[in-house]
Amino acid sequence: MNASLDPFAGAPDEALLVAYANGDGHAARLLTARLLPRILAQATRMLGTRTEAEDVAQDAMMRLWKIAPDWRSGEAQVTTWLYRVVSNLCTDRLRKRRGGVSLDQVAEPLDTTPSVAAQMQTKARMTALSDALAELPERQAQAVSLRHLEGLSNPEIAQIMDISVRSVESLTARGKRALADIMAGRKAELGYDDEPA
Amino acid sequence: MMMNPHDDMLDDLFAMARGEKPVPGDDLVARVLADADAIQPGVVTAATTSQKGLWPRLLEAVGGWPAISGLAAATVAGIWVGIAPPSSVEDMTASWIGDEVHVSLFSADLMLDEGALPDG
Repeated sequence: MNASLDPFAGAPDEALLVAYANGDGHAARLLTARLLPRILAQATRMLGTRTEAEDVAQDAMMRLWKIAPDWRSGEAQVTTWLYRVVSNLCTDRLRKRRGGVSLDQVAEPLDTTPSVAAQMQTKARMTALSDALAELPERQAQAVSLRHLEGLSNPEIAQIMDISVRSVESLTARGKRALADIMAGRKAELGYDDEPA
Repeated sequence: MMMNPHDDMLDDLFAMARGEKPVPGDDLVARVLADADAIQPGVVTAATTSQKGLWPRLLEAVGGWPAISGLAAATVAGIWVGIAPPSSVEDMTASWIGDEVHVSLFSADLMLDEGALPDG
């Protein structure tokens, strides 16, 4: 999509959402181009699997289309709202995963060439991180992922989670500690040496 | 805050996760846009309104035939009250403007007894 030829180029997400609600199909395409990559990335980082992340991304966008006619101007930014929705959808999936295995762990590739082995290790690490997030209480998992996987600031996370900054600090600290304890047992398996930092 | 001995591993994992920047495939984009099309609210265009004539649109504007029959009933009732006001209405107007003033469209005295009129 060529942004320079776009009459909506530079328009805020909120304005595009209103245009979509008023029947403008082009606004939907532009919103998708803007928001879908970010949503898919957030879901992929939290879930560690592409298939599940795509389902969550589609679901989140569906919720955006549905809420468009009732969107309350100025109440929240579209991106803030989406961070919240994706975060909730992902923790729902992580909850169901507890006690089981994530989808991508089932298949075991046989190719062991160096580049493929490195990819497998990265994939195994991402899946392990996601599985460890699934073991955390949901609010901790959300706060940790928004802070450390999305790189958001504490005030931004406070707005997304609708809690105080102090609560965010507490949740991320406890969550990270718990995550480290969970991951400690898998250090060697994931290719990290056992020497203390 | 005390450093957890496994923080290095975690920080590496976090950095690796942040490096994940998946590009949505054409299939996913198509699915999302299909959802958008399916859910998009309809729009009232000029074409849909101009298809009807003036009277049907006026009728629609006031609420259709049930509203018209209500309007007709209210109009007839208003005329009737104007011609033959119930006593309660007469009492009320008398209390406002005084008993001396009496307006009657169909005065029996005037029509039937001309002798009652003063000469000249």
